[in-house]
Amino acid sequence: MALKETDVHPPAASIKPEDQELARKREEQAVLETELADRELRSANLRAELGAFERQYLHFVGSRYADLDELKAQIAERLAREQPRNQRAQQAARDARARANETKSVAGEKAAEEPRAFRAAPGTKRLYREVAKRIHPDLTSDREDRVKRQQLMAEANEAYERGDETRLTKILTEYECSPEAVQGEGPGAELVRVIRRISQARGRLAEIEAEMQEALRSDLYQLKSRLDEAQKHGRDVLKEMVAKVDEQIAQAKHRLEDPESARTP
Amino acid sequence: METHEKSATKQIVHTPPQGLAVRSAALVVRGLRDLTRDSNWLIKKVFTGQSSHMAISPSGQVCTLSPQVRYGSQRVVLYDIELSAAMMALSVPGETGTFQPGSVDEEAAAFAWSPTARYLVAAWGAWHPQLHLFDVHGKMLLGAFGVFDRIPQNLAWSETGKYFAAASSGGKGATLRVWQATRQEMPLSKSPVAEIGAPQGIEPQTYGEGFEEEGAFRGYGKSAFSPNENMLASVASIQGEWADDSILIAESHSLQNQSLFQAQGHITDLTWTPDSRQIVYCAAGQAYRLAAGSPDFEPLPFGAELCVCHPHLPLCVCFSSWLKNSAKGRMFLVDLNRMTVFDEYAAEGVVDLRWSLDGSKAFAMTQSGMAYIYEPALL
Repeated sequence: MALKETDVHPPAASIKPEDQELARKREEQAVLETELADRELRSANLRAELGAFERQYLHFVGSRYADLDELKAQIAERLAREQPRNQRAQQAARDARARANETKSVAGEKAAEEPRAFRAAPGTKRLYREVAKRIHPDLTSDREDRVKRQQLMAEANEAYERGDETRLTKILTEYECSPEAVQGEGPGAELVRVIRRISQARGRLAEIEAEMQEALRSDLYQLKSRLDEAQKHGRDVLKEMVAKVDEQIAQAKHRLEDPESARTP
Repeated sequence: METHEKSATKQIVHTPPQGLAVRSAALVVRGLRDLTRDSNWLIKKVFTGQSSHMAISPSGQVCTLSPQVRYGSQRVVLYDIELSAAMMALSVPGETGTFQPGSVDEEAAAFAWSPTARYLVAAWGAWHPQLHLFDVHGKMLLGAFGVFDRIPQNLAWSETGKYFAAASSGGKGATLRVWQATRQEMPLSKSPVAEIGAPQGIEPQTYGEGFEEEGAFRGYGKSAFSPNENMLASVASIQGEWADDSILIAESHSLQNQSLFQAQGHITDLTWTPDSRQIVYCAAGQAYRLAAGSPDFEPLPFGAELCVCHPHLPLCVCFSSWLKNSAKGRMFLVDLNRMTVFDEYAAEGVVDLRWSLDGSKAFAMTQSGMAYIYEPALL
């Protein structure tokens, strides 16, 4: 392991001003690195939770909306066939078919396994924080190193969402052993590097904040919050939504089978 | 202290923010919407204050006078019903936004949206007594046309935008005019292609508008083109509290080949069925169905003051200001084949109703700015 300059304590009189400044900046960088790692973890948690919720929602409710829209398209197409001269009915059938295709494409194929909610183990969180602290792309000023870190960080995010501690450990070890991890070319250049890393870290902190705010304002988060809030009071709203759409599907099937009732909602 | 860059490429690189891409956005919004309602009706507050003149567009916008500020500054404003937000204010050159006290047209206004909601025709007492045509998408006033003694009572656009009608009151000077669509920058002809005064068979008013002659023609009211655009139906309003209005049906392009049907009481609304064969109308709080061009009519088993037929299904959305055994009003749907009423919802002060272009939703607006959106899962 490389010896850090801050670990060496020569007599105060012999410390050069640039070394003192470098030491101060390194302390500042260390604080920011910790904060950045914490924020990245919170951001990754939010992303993973919303991603898992989105998969659950699409699996249980989205797939049913796709079934419902397919039935509605079939009803609209039947009504259009019955009124060949009614342009509105023809257009409504085309719109309904387009909507059904779109819903089907968004909802995707229903997965065989039920998606589960995201919950990271404390060990995984600790590892992720360590990875973020060590290899965060905004903590380097070297372009090549940065590209490598971005790639590793993306892999770390995926591993975290999967709860894959082995992969997280491997990412950390691989980077620690890489030549890019070796630092130091004299105090002057190092001071500039540290200042730039601090600036980058601050920039990234602001970006994370903006990303978090965007996520918290999203419709997906609003929906998840409502469901979470209801769950605290013992209500399974996702289940209720499923039941509601199932009822609509049953009505749609009835309308499709009975031509007369196809004309009313 | 000397520092140097390793290479020209060794510069701080901006990392793009890791935004949350939600592929399911539309389905999430749909789920949220379904969560917030316990019926097929969704209620929203669109504006505060009171306004009685408005027109809902097929895409869910409403054009109305800004909430009442008597003798103060008022504007014609467009609101988005779904977003419950003001979109833009419409203005014309020389607009004052104030009324002259005692003016006949004080607070009079009429609006009509084109079928695609791109164009809006507006007339207002604070503007010159003309029709002003706005391109809402382009956010510009295209021009003014038609000159009126009084602001028209009702404006109507036909199904594909081929014809446009303006119906005015004013007794002796009341007219019904039809314009035709053009392919020019101004999408309506400068001059009307047809114009009539009092319909044949109705006693015209002899004196000026200051005299209310019982039983004489007061003017034209609610007008609607048939979905096939061949015919125009317009309410011929008669003076007097207990007078009976009539429905004039004439050819859209010429206003000729008129037929007149006398109703019972004052007519508050009329709408064509999707097959263009029948008219559903509301007179003195009761709904009726009339076979177009014939004297055959039947009272329908419900009361209503406003009604609009679905663009291609035998459905009608209605509003009645009072309910039997209750002072409260309601919105409701009618299956015109089975004559059954369903999806009722308490509502008061509704002044405009319409279906969306594809018929998947119906919108209603009240004087106090409440919007009722009918959006059943199966339409």
